[in-house]
Amino acid sequence: MALPDFVRSIRTRESRALEFDRLFREHIPALYRSAYRWTGSTDRAEDLVQDLLTRLYPRLDDMRTLDQLKPWAMRVMYRIFVDQVRRERRSPVQFGFEEELEDESDGESGVSAEGVEPEALVERELTQERIMAAWSKLSEDHRVVLTMHDIEEYSLVEIAHMIDAPVGTLKSRVHRARARLREILVRERFDTAGRVTSSSTGEP
Amino acid sequence: MSQESPNDPLRQALRQMPVPSPRPGFAEEALARAVASHEREAKRPARAFVRWETWFGAAVGAAVAALATFLVMRPDVPSAQEPGITLAINESRNVDVLIDSERTLDGAMIRVVTTGSVELEGFEDKHSVEWQTRLERGRNVLSLPVVARTSGPAQLVTVIEHEGRTRKVAVNLLVKPQKHDEVA
Repeated sequence: MALPDFVRSIRTRESRALEFDRLFREHIPALYRSAYRWTGSTDRAEDLVQDLLTRLYPRLDDMRTLDQLKPWAMRVMYRIFVDQVRRERRSPVQFGFEEELEDESDGESGVSAEGVEPEALVERELTQERIMAAWSKLSEDHRVVLTMHDIEEYSLVEIAHMIDAPVGTLKSRVHRARARLREILVRERFDTAGRVTSSSTGEP
Repeated sequence: MSQESPNDPLRQALRQMPVPSPRPGFAEEALARAVASHEREAKRPARAFVRWETWFGAAVGAAVAALATFLVMRPDVPSAQEPGITLAINESRNVDVLIDSERTLDGAMIRVVTTGSVELEGFEDKHSVEWQTRLERGRNVLSLPVVARTSGPAQLVTVIEHEGRTRKVAVNLLVKPQKHDEVA
């Protein structure tokens, strides 16, 4: 006779909690770092990790069979994050869709990031302040792919599995995210230069 | 293209972007909250306790519906009878039975018997379900999904057998008639 669910659920609470702790504690710092980079806020990052742990604890049985817990947890956390962003936006524009990225990638400022040589950015001195300011202006989906690929160095295949997107789509998404970041950095440079020029020539 | 390189200055700058630490003790708190949250969730309005091998006289919270304790090598003691849990017709509720064991019990036989007006959800055609399992040392939670079918009294009995020893816990239930039945 097939065992009913409540039979399979027999576990000691104490041992479950300890096992959960043993499995997860080592991953919390990395999950928190990802969450911070996605959200840009300590509070939101903590809330996201808390939400993740709360949702995963009842799934301890699933976790026992996993070879790689962290990418799996990252995948779940990403879904939670996407849901949060969607709720927050309360907009027909859905987070994570390529169409949105296509729209974003149109150079509305007339400053093309594609035309900027990397050397120019090196000369520009990528200070932490400037990078962080530009990062905060990126969309959530751009922050996610850059975090996963450029910072945490997951492969495109791994990311594709984590966020349920084709590798080709991700490749272009990463490319656009970088282009967008460069565009923000360049635009900031032009804005600053414009202000300097204006003030030095005495124009209003 | 150059920006694909891990040594690209932009990528290097991104990797060096500082991440502020979470609050001190965040990991411990988050883990504890995750567990506590689930236990709150699992805290059903009905519970029963059985403790293996020692007498156990404490009720746990207002949710306890019945408490039965037994001592190994002693004859069976009838389970405590209390007014129990009240359900409405067709209401489903999980009744938690906590089996507190002082040691691991491999191959323990658990039998759940329903009598009267309730059934185990998913086992509507059976009044008795049994299976063999391993009980861990400490608290084992057996969450029994009960559904009320007709009005009247009922009982949910859980019997645990291991190496010839038997423990039993019974939860009394009452299924209230629907309002129009009361009027009639």
